[in-house]
Amino acid sequence: MLAGLAVLAAGCGKSTGSPPGKIVLAVDVPVTGSPYVAQTIRNGAGLAVDRLNGGGGITVGDRKYKIVVKLYDNHLSARRAVENTRRALSAGAVAIVTDGTGVPATWQLARKDSVPIAITYDGATGLVDPDTRPNVFRIAPTNHAIAFRLAEYTIPKGLKVGLLHDDSAYGQEGAKDVDSAFSANPKSVATRMTLPAVATDLSAQILRARRSGATALLVWGQPSTIAAVLTAARTMGWNVPVFTPPTGADPYIRQRLADHPDWVDGLTFASGRMTAEVGAAPFKAFQSQYEATYGADKVGVTNSKGKQVVQPPEFAMYPYDFVNVLVAALTKAGSVDPHKVLPELNQVTTQGANGDERGFNEHNHEGVVDDDIYFARFHDMTYSPVPDDPLSSTLPTIPQTR
Amino acid sequence: MAAGRTRTELGRALADARAAWGSPAWVAVAAIALAAAVPFLSLPWVRVDALAQTVYLAVTATALGLLVGTAGLPSLGAGAFVAVGAFTSALLVAREDWPLEPAALAGALAALAAALVFGGVVRLRPAFVAASTWALAWLVWLGLLAFPSISGGSQGLIVPDRNLLGLDATPTVHFEVALALLVLTALGIAAVRRGAPGLELTALRQAPPLAVSLGVRLGRRRLGAFAASAFVAGLAGGLSVQLAAVADPASYDPFLSFKLLVAVLLGGAAATLGPAAGVAVLGLIALASGPLARALQLPLERFDAAVAAILLVFVLALGGGGIVPWATRRLAHLGWFQRVRPSLQVTDCYKEEERREVPGGLVLHAQGLRKAYGGVVAVDALSLELVPGEAAALVGPNGSGKTTALRLLSGAVAADAGQVVLGDRDVTTATPSERVRLGIARTLQTVTTFPELTALEDVLVGRSVRRRYGGGIRTALATPNARRETAASEGAALEALALVGLRDVADVETQALTTSERRLVALAAALATEPDVLLVDELAAGVGADELERLAEVVARIRSGGIALLLVEHNLRLVRLVSDRVLVLAAGHVVAEGSVEEVAGSDAVRQAYLGAQTL
Repeated sequence: MLAGLAVLAAGCGKSTGSPPGKIVLAVDVPVTGSPYVAQTIRNGAGLAVDRLNGGGGITVGDRKYKIVVKLYDNHLSARRAVENTRRALSAGAVAIVTDGTGVPATWQLARKDSVPIAITYDGATGLVDPDTRPNVFRIAPTNHAIAFRLAEYTIPKGLKVGLLHDDSAYGQEGAKDVDSAFSANPKSVATRMTLPAVATDLSAQILRARRSGATALLVWGQPSTIAAVLTAARTMGWNVPVFTPPTGADPYIRQRLADHPDWVDGLTFASGRMTAEVGAAPFKAFQSQYEATYGADKVGVTNSKGKQVVQPPEFAMYPYDFVNVLVAALTKAGSVDPHKVLPELNQVTTQGANGDERGFNEHNHEGVVDDDIYFARFHDMTYSPVPDDPLSSTLPTIPQTR
Repeated sequence: MAAGRTRTELGRALADARAAWGSPAWVAVAAIALAAAVPFLSLPWVRVDALAQTVYLAVTATALGLLVGTAGLPSLGAGAFVAVGAFTSALLVAREDWPLEPAALAGALAALAAALVFGGVVRLRPAFVAASTWALAWLVWLGLLAFPSISGGSQGLIVPDRNLLGLDATPTVHFEVALALLVLTALGIAAVRRGAPGLELTALRQAPPLAVSLGVRLGRRRLGAFAASAFVAGLAGGLSVQLAAVADPASYDPFLSFKLLVAVLLGGAAATLGPAAGVAVLGLIALASGPLARALQLPLERFDAAVAAILLVFVLALGGGGIVPWATRRLAHLGWFQRVRPSLQVTDCYKEEERREVPGGLVLHAQGLRKAYGGVVAVDALSLELVPGEAAALVGPNGSGKTTALRLLSGAVAADAGQVVLGDRDVTTATPSERVRLGIARTLQTVTTFPELTALEDVLVGRSVRRRYGGGIRTALATPNARRETAASEGAALEALALVGLRDVADVETQALTTSERRLVALAAALATEPDVLLVDELAAGVGADELERLAEVVARIRSGGIALLLVEHNLRLVRLVSDRVLVLAAGHVVAEGSVEEVAGSDAVRQAYLGAQTL
């Protein structure tokens, strides 16, 4: 009897399909692990969905559909991401938008149903491969690009860089790319160090870095790690320049160092540029739309003039853009069947929130090109593009105070 | 011929099963069928993958129940064995491209090996077992975190897709496999609980010194249960990790072990299905605590841990019996369910083992035994001899060393000097269980029976030393030899009870018997070990004068079987009734030895001991 049930079971476990007239979009993000990232992705996707639904929904084939967003919390756990992916597939999701947690495991599950997974935050190398993972896409700056741009930016300055990373998955992944980026210039590396992600006091490690002769620090880690590094360095009177990946822009750092805003001054991070060649207008329009819907993302600190500092919704662009690409693919496919939609994702392009073109093809599932990485530096709790980088110097400063 | 024997045994097994089949079995079959059908009912609130993980957890908990409930070892390390199984399986699948089934089996074997390495903890007292296994849980978890090259770091090791038993390993397939595993584990555990291994573990839990005195090997039995529990946990871990698709250290933290123990205690460690019920209850509570944690904005993991801890306190405060035993008692009280002890069926296949020939006429020879505790000499220069069928008495005032002498002869304490020879074999360095196997059995002075067992079960504990096919695996699989031997053992145990005149109370729990009956049950248990020498401590303690004749008859029957007895007695009337020879101890020395009349007339004896008493 059990054997017979098992045979039946092999054919079961398929999704129940989307409710009629509705298209399910799953958003799997670390609500309880990294709330800012989760909120950004959720809001970005939600903004696109609200705009589309507000216009009466989307037309696929000869039918109108409204998009329903189902939010799942992956707790920054790959295992939880797998469970959420199963739930999303059972709910009939046509796509899954994620920060990137657990993709090495979840893509296999989603692949069986031809459901695309869109990574909109994690730039780790190896996550995206059109040949082996044809259902995984990314619209976010890649770690590889950021690491090489950081090397490109710091090495010519003659800096001796201390390469620090924390032991989180994010830190360890980034460290590989950083090592690769600096491998051609070993003399520019003063020291390499792994920092405990959970530690709040990194004085000993920063002292070691100082003693190694480092004249700059490149810190690849969680916002808490970056905050701890700044605290340790500035407390001992070491005004070393600190460079970071996009996590340097996380509001958490400024919240932690709200009592010492001068410690944040000079912090430089690399990220995908907010504005495009067409100018700042598209992004500003997106920002207005975002803030009209969700309110400005208050960082929780003020600048020296007492104005509230807000965070531009730069990472919200990416899930927003993916939703638009997805809708274009749905429309082109004329069907909500993921098996028909997935191939079309390689065929369509749309205009992104900042005016850049967003799209994929069979050989490239990266939606942010490596050349679009810029640098921004903090001053008085806000940041602006650096003047000493060819790309960054052409970009406008997005207002960040209210 | 072998095929014919197999057919015969299968026929017997089916006949036994048919005879034992009743409404509880039908209820169980219906429950299993209903459970198996759940994934096909398309219930909207049911997540089959979560159900399958829960059932795998129930498998682990069921095996843990044998260790906690029957053996009395509160292990807080089950999660460690699940982790060992999971990561072994994951590594083999992910890095060596193994199929899932051998990888999961390898995981189980790895967990078994870990249990054997760590198995020394089973000799500790329960509190230290808990502490040691808790340390093991931490050790394994921290080890996984410390070696990200093995464990995949904080995000874990990705487990590629594999088939399971030739089928696409969907959550539904995993659920059915887990359910089958649960049923098999429960059946195996139930068989072990009922059989010789279960009896021995129960005996070791209730009265370790008494069990050891009957030849039960404490270390081996407990290690067997520990290892079996670990094997099943490793197998469950090895399979469930494939369902999870990720082996991440965070899922195998020490809290998993804690949760498993809570489930066992909550559901009832004494019941085979109690742990599974406990897992189900914890699962339901987790479902409810999710929304509550979100409403209170608490991390669910910490909230879950807090709920489990509160439940544990609750269960312990209510006596620690658990849900299933409570429910069983209520149903029995309402007459819906009666606990049925298997009826005694002594088959014709029972074959009396031949009594061992004891050469040379002497069955026991002790020479120059000495034992001192610090500066106090308990026994010094003790020498005695026994011949088959003889009854000798060892008498003396309190503190004269009588019980120490028995302990020296039985091996319960090691002698500082001297020699003990059984037949032609020097047993001076043999352990107590080895001496029982060789033919020296002993009853204890204070602890006479196992309180939770019936008289028959008590005697079966003693009989188990003579079993060849009473191991855990044979019992779980109910092999033909094991079943035949079980029937034979029951026959021998009943004979031993009959010899002491208690055949009619075989099914009565020992705590319901009188003091003298319990002492006779203890005597029967020792007789069931088929000793050549029986060391009896205070047989007449607490016995009325009118029962002395009955005891004397029992002793006479034992002697007539060729067994030599050495009785330690305060009741000098019984000594006069049964003894051929008396040795008088005073301050650890033999001050007189001879027939009853010779000793009774000795001034030295009177001076040292008798005083107003006479033999």
